[in-house]
Amino acid sequence: MSFDLHRPATISEAIGLSTRLAPAARYIAGGTDLVIQINRKKVFPDHLIDLGQLPGLAGVAETAGGYSLGSLTTYRSIELHPAFQGNLSGVIEAARVVGGHQVRNVATVGGNIVNASPAADFVPALLVLDAELELTGPAGNRIVALRDFVVGPGRTVLGPAEIVTSIRFARLPDRSATAFLKEGRRKAMEISVVCVAACLTLDESGSSCASARLAVGAAAPKAMRPQQAEAYLLNRPPGRVSFAEAGRLAAESSAPISDVRASAEHRRHLVAVMVERALTACHQRILEQGR
Amino acid sequence: MTRTNLDILINGERHQILIEPHWTLLHVLRSVVGMMGTKENCLEAECGVCTVLLDGKSVNSCILLAGQTAGRSVTTIEGIGNPEHLHPLQAAFIECGAVQCGYCIPGMILTAKSFLDENPGRRQSRDEIREAIAGNLCRCTGYRKIVDAVALAAERMSVAGAKP
Ligand SMILES: Cc1cc2nc3c(=O)[nH]c(=O)nc-3n(C[C@H](O)[C@H](O)[C@H](O)COP(=O)(O)OP(=O)(O)OC[C@H]3O[C@@H](n4cnc5c(N)ncnc54)[C@H](O)[C@@H]3O)c2cc1C
Ligand code: FES
Ligand code: FES
Repeated sequence: MSFDLHRPATISEAIGLSTRLAPAARYIAGGTDLVIQINRKKVFPDHLIDLGQLPGLAGVAETAGGYSLGSLTTYRSIELHPAFQGNLSGVIEAARVVGGHQVRNVATVGGNIVNASPAADFVPALLVLDAELELTGPAGNRIVALRDFVVGPGRTVLGPAEIVTSIRFARLPDRSATAFLKEGRRKAMEISVVCVAACLTLDESGSSCASARLAVGAAAPKAMRPQQAEAYLLNRPPGRVSFAEAGRLAAESSAPISDVRASAEHRRHLVAVMVERALTACHQRILEQGR
Repeated sequence: MTRTNLDILINGERHQILIEPHWTLLHVLRSVVGMMGTKENCLEAECGVCTVLLDGKSVNSCILLAGQTAGRSVTTIEGIGNPEHLHPLQAAFIECGAVQCGYCIPGMILTAKSFLDENPGRRQSRDEIREAIAGNLCRCTGYRKIVDAVALAAERMSVAGAKP
């Protein structure tokens, strides 16, 4: 392991360094993915550019339309943030399953997205919120939808020297709830065999689904939105029958692999069961809000 | 690769150390400063024996680059109590017999301290405690007595209302 560590004080300094040192430079945030990849000799950067001191990149802000998470926000600060206690509790549920406390105190949400692991837990939780990323690079700022950002295992549309600066999503309408479920081989400290996020909104009467968004991690080369399942639920009554059918459709559109942790068949079965459970949890939460 | 100067507070004392960019905080603590209370095992953030507090929060020092901690404050097990004045967690671990070989204990205590300090004055359920120490493996105790000890310390610290 040998590299130089740079600690820029501003975003433009970081981008300048990265442009000058490309392609031998990598950004580092918490380092919980990157340092292990370097130790395992999977990547060999000559230069690491630490984003940790850049101002304004950590923390949660409430905006006119919704929320903005700085890319350097840690899971632990999300878990403890009051903004997510209500109908965004799925965000907390996803933050809570990443590693142990020690990892969650340093690992960042931006690092999870850019690392682009098919099993990244926080990505599905953000996908169901239709999250957008703000990127800053040599040519200025641009906005990219999260669903277009990751293109495959370890691959994203991030341009040279670009930094993910923030992640944004809108506030949810009334009668909405979110949920996140993870299945690993053991309860803690294990990467997902399958993870599922759901965001459900009911119409005013509460008797049909006004919107249903689903995301599944670790069941395809990248986290996916099972569109047939989402479309099926539209305008249907919420409940066991429709949620089970949505689970079946989601499993059908998944493309899992077999590996040491689970067979493709087992993963597909998990998708069906977990989608149904996540939707049931959302429904239950909406009913509880109404009381 | 260029050596750089690391300015860091360790257990309240300022250190200026010449480091290589790839050195981890764990390496600096054990091999440069000679603080052996912080243990070394998996080097992949899986076992928790290398846990220290960075600005009061538990972190795995085995995958944290020392350079990332410049200007910050590190607390190791050597910094949270001494034989005359044990930290409530240390006292509780002894009272509950929550120690076999002791290898995991510095990490367990610092992880528990970081967690308890997040909610001062609040009692913690056994489930919350189990979840909080999930990043720390113990080969010997079976965890039950460790959870007992953290619960006892949490109880006492919540009654005391303040940190020692
Ligand atoms: C013990 C352990 C358990 C774990 N458990 C889980 C788990 O259960 N679920 C899970 O999803 N993950 C898990 N992880 C993986 C990891 O902690 C997360 O993916 C984390 O969110 C990565 O964030 P980071 O800040 O540490 O990223 P880093 O390692 O710093 O960076 C990861 C990648 O993203 C790039 N990058 C980081 N930030 C930016 C930015 N703002 N702009 C541009 N590029 C950037 C880096 O160049 C690098 O390529 C675990 C890791 C460990 C060590
Ligand atoms: S040595 Fe750091 S977690 Fe195991
Ligand atoms: S007491 Fe031996 S590892 Fe925990």
